[in-house]
Amino acid sequence: MLKVVGGFVAGIVVVVLLVYNFAGSLMFREIQSPFGVEETVARIQQNIQNAGNGWSLSGLRNAAKPIELDGGNVLPVLMIEACSTRYSGPILKDDSLRFLSNLMPCKISVYKKNDGKTYIGMMNAELIGSLFGAKVGGIMKQVSADQAKFVVFDASKPAPAMIKGTPGATSGGAGAGAAGGC
Amino acid sequence: MLSRLKFILPLMAAGALLAAPTASAVPAEPAAATAPQLETIIKPKASTADHSKFKELNRNFQTGPQVTEACLICHTEAAKQVQHTKHWTWESTDPKTGQVRGKKNIINNYCTSPVSNEKDCMACHAGYGWKDDKFDFKVEKNVDCLICHDQTGTYRKLPGDAGHPVYKRVEFPKGSGKFVEPADLKKVAQSIGMPTRSNCGSCHFFGAGGNGAKHGDLDASLQHPGKYLDVHMDEKGLNFTCTTCHATSSHEVSGSRYNVAAAVKGPAHIRGKQDESPAACQSCHSDKPHHEAMLNQHTEKLACQTCHIPEYARNEIGTEASWDWSQATIMGADGKPMVSKDSAGRRKFDSKKGTWVWDSYVIPEYRWYNGVSTYKVIGDKIDPSKTVQINEVGGAPGDADSRIWPTKVHRGKQPYDKVNNYLTVQHTAGEDHTALWHNYDWQKAIGAGMKAAKLPYSGEYGFVDTEMTWPITHMVAPKHDALACEQCHSKSGRLQGIEGVYLPSRDSNKWLDMIGWTLVMLSLIGILIHGGLRIYTGKNKGQHK
Amino acid sequence: MNAVNRRIYLYNRYERFWHWSQALLVILMMITGFEVHGSYKLLGFGNAVNLHTVAAWTLLTLWAFTIFWQFTTDEWKQYIPSLKKVDAMVRYYAYGIFLNAPNPFHKTAAKKHNPLQRLAYLALLSMVSPVIWGSGLFYLFYSSWKSLGIDAWLSLEAVAFVHTAGAFMMLVFFIAHVYLTTTGHTPTAHIKTMVTGWEEVD
Repeated sequence: MLKVVGGFVAGIVVVVLLVYNFAGSLMFREIQSPFGVEETVARIQQNIQNAGNGWSLSGLRNAAKPIELDGGNVLPVLMIEACSTRYSGPILKDDSLRFLSNLMPCKISVYKKNDGKTYIGMMNAELIGSLFGAKVGGIMKQVSADQAKFVVFDASKPAPAMIKGTPGATSGGAGAGAAGGC
Repeated sequence: MLSRLKFILPLMAAGALLAAPTASAVPAEPAAATAPQLETIIKPKASTADHSKFKELNRNFQTGPQVTEACLICHTEAAKQVQHTKHWTWESTDPKTGQVRGKKNIINNYCTSPVSNEKDCMACHAGYGWKDDKFDFKVEKNVDCLICHDQTGTYRKLPGDAGHPVYKRVEFPKGSGKFVEPADLKKVAQSIGMPTRSNCGSCHFFGAGGNGAKHGDLDASLQHPGKYLDVHMDEKGLNFTCTTCHATSSHEVSGSRYNVAAAVKGPAHIRGKQDESPAACQSCHSDKPHHEAMLNQHTEKLACQTCHIPEYARNEIGTEASWDWSQATIMGADGKPMVSKDSAGRRKFDSKKGTWVWDSYVIPEYRWYNGVSTYKVIGDKIDPSKTVQINEVGGAPGDADSRIWPTKVHRGKQPYDKVNNYLTVQHTAGEDHTALWHNYDWQKAIGAGMKAAKLPYSGEYGFVDTEMTWPITHMVAPKHDALACEQCHSKSGRLQGIEGVYLPSRDSNKWLDMIGWTLVMLSLIGILIHGGLRIYTGKNKGQHK
Repeated sequence: MNAVNRRIYLYNRYERFWHWSQALLVILMMITGFEVHGSYKLLGFGNAVNLHTVAAWTLLTLWAFTIFWQFTTDEWKQYIPSLKKVDAMVRYYAYGIFLNAPNPFHKTAAKKHNPLQRLAYLALLSMVSPVIWGSGLFYLFYSSWKSLGIDAWLSLEAVAFVHTAGAFMMLVFFIAHVYLTTTGHTPTAHIKTMVTGWEEVD
């Protein structure tokens, strides 16, 4: 009997350890881009603008800039922020879910690594959404499907220009991001 | 931190008994070899002469040469000095090989050659009037003092004027709606001072006709650099100008890619000492600048730049990775010349010039280099079946005078004479009917270019792949951004393809590894069998008793 | 002497301290050493090198004390080889151990190691140690080669080769050594002795 219980407990421990070990990599996805950093960003931005479903760009953040201003070096990291009111609306209306605004806007990061190649990092929206019940899970599943299309590239099309900042935003200030959809 | 611990720990453990022998093993060396601290660095102070008070300069100059004549009234030897430098001759003789190189003689894989294009290219000549091969290099008033010494920032030289500054308001670039105003030459002459970053940068930041295009480690971001970009030129910190390192005497600027001090040895230089390579890192830092002997030992194989410039073109400006001339003369869908830009807004295609690929934050390619480069000069034979090396980088793996250097390798595709097997000179700039950028006809452009270069042209041209290798030496990062050990000491690190060094963690003897791990496996299997047998026979033990 | 268990004090406090600190250092050096060699990535190359160096100097220091201790206590005599009963030991490990035959060797305070052990330790001391330490010291002082003129006749590659070969020998010894500690009258008996100093003798 003791052996059975012991084995059971050991099994649970192993599973927990495995989950602990791999959960991080399941929640995020990293793929290599065939283009340079700027072109990857520009093509993703274009895909987002053409995606429909209420998607629009909310901004482009350069995470390397503050480090440079601080006197340090880091390889380029650009974060494309995008949002769809169609998906954000229902979550933001629900008091029990408003905390999920932490995950908004959707972010796709494009960065260079030491091998000189460009990579795209994304959240696994479907998996993370599924942790918060059926409603969020359903929404995030659609977000996830849209997101997958953001990183499908047609190399035969000419490279669009990278859009810096928030398209349509008048100037800085708290309201500047409003034009970006969310 | 660990490096300190490494010595303190054993010493603590050793106590008095072993203090003497281990102390001799402590590799830390006195910090004597480090660069001077911030407060001791002398900043260029105001001159003792106020040029606005000189009556010679208190007149309305019409042309550049008039200003030079005024300068030479007092600075009697200045023009002669300049006329001995590369900035004037565009020529450089290698002291080791005797080869005569310089912009005038080589064909690179950017704009290729100034020959037959002097009127445009000589916008960056420190002189006035070099528009063809009849330019007289002895005329002193044709030396341009102002391009290097102007402090107003209004003195501009544009392509097409053979080195003369803008005298009349002109639209530039043509059709852009932007205009360049002529400078007030009197004000410019009265403003003069020691060259600033802007003076040098007005040409060196814009090589190959675009910001950052040519060098990658030199671009306009160095006019107001932050610490991250260049620890020495940091505007809020050391604030070096170009000439802080490129110490100059008699107008001879030290430090040149044509003659690189690739492996400087010995201690830091003291003032007053004859200095062969003042622009080298070692002249201030010595060849043993670190506190740890193990790091200092690296300087026997590596250039300082290899670790301390982890990437170059570290900004959005970027630099050109390649230039494909074979795409030039391709027109847009409407049959008219077209231009396009890449996602970052940098030139990507131009019917005049072909296609470019740009990159930012570029990881260098590493090469053994002894400072001597052999260039393809006009008329040198090439083997078009291979990628042509515009400059053969000298040095060999493990050679005592060579170091592993970071380089920018610029890939090109450019015209060559298919019968005579040499790179061609082409007449690109100009308004005449043979100019490529005017008439989009390669045959005529090459014909005119080769005629100007006094070289036979067979009439048959093709395009050949070329590579040009540039040692990277600017944009030194702060020390905490130097490459980490494992960026080279690993199987797929930065120095993956570099021979001539045994690099722990990258290199190992594969036979030894195979035999070693086999033995380890065999011992493990052995104890498994032995242990298994013991467990099996041990179960029967009780029955014996 | 009956079946009543008798205990003898085999390893004194210094000896045990020496053994276990040495064990720790050797394990640390193998982990960091094979990382420096490029067999895997664990701590990062720089950290591995630094730890390896710290451990090397610490172990050298420990040895200095231990050699002093060996000679002042005459314990060095434990390593004088003897071929007597070697065949008996070999036979015991080869099959006697499976037949529950008695261990032909009886530990006493004067003779702590069986003849096979003596040979093994002597080999370790006289062959593996010089290989590792000789090459290791050259490796450690690589930055001084030039000033000493060593670089003219020695390459880092050769030193690394010898050092790695020594490391493999050490690893094999380590595996065998750890396994043989389980061959007491209970699997943990020898290990207990090494911790407490007391050996239970039949």
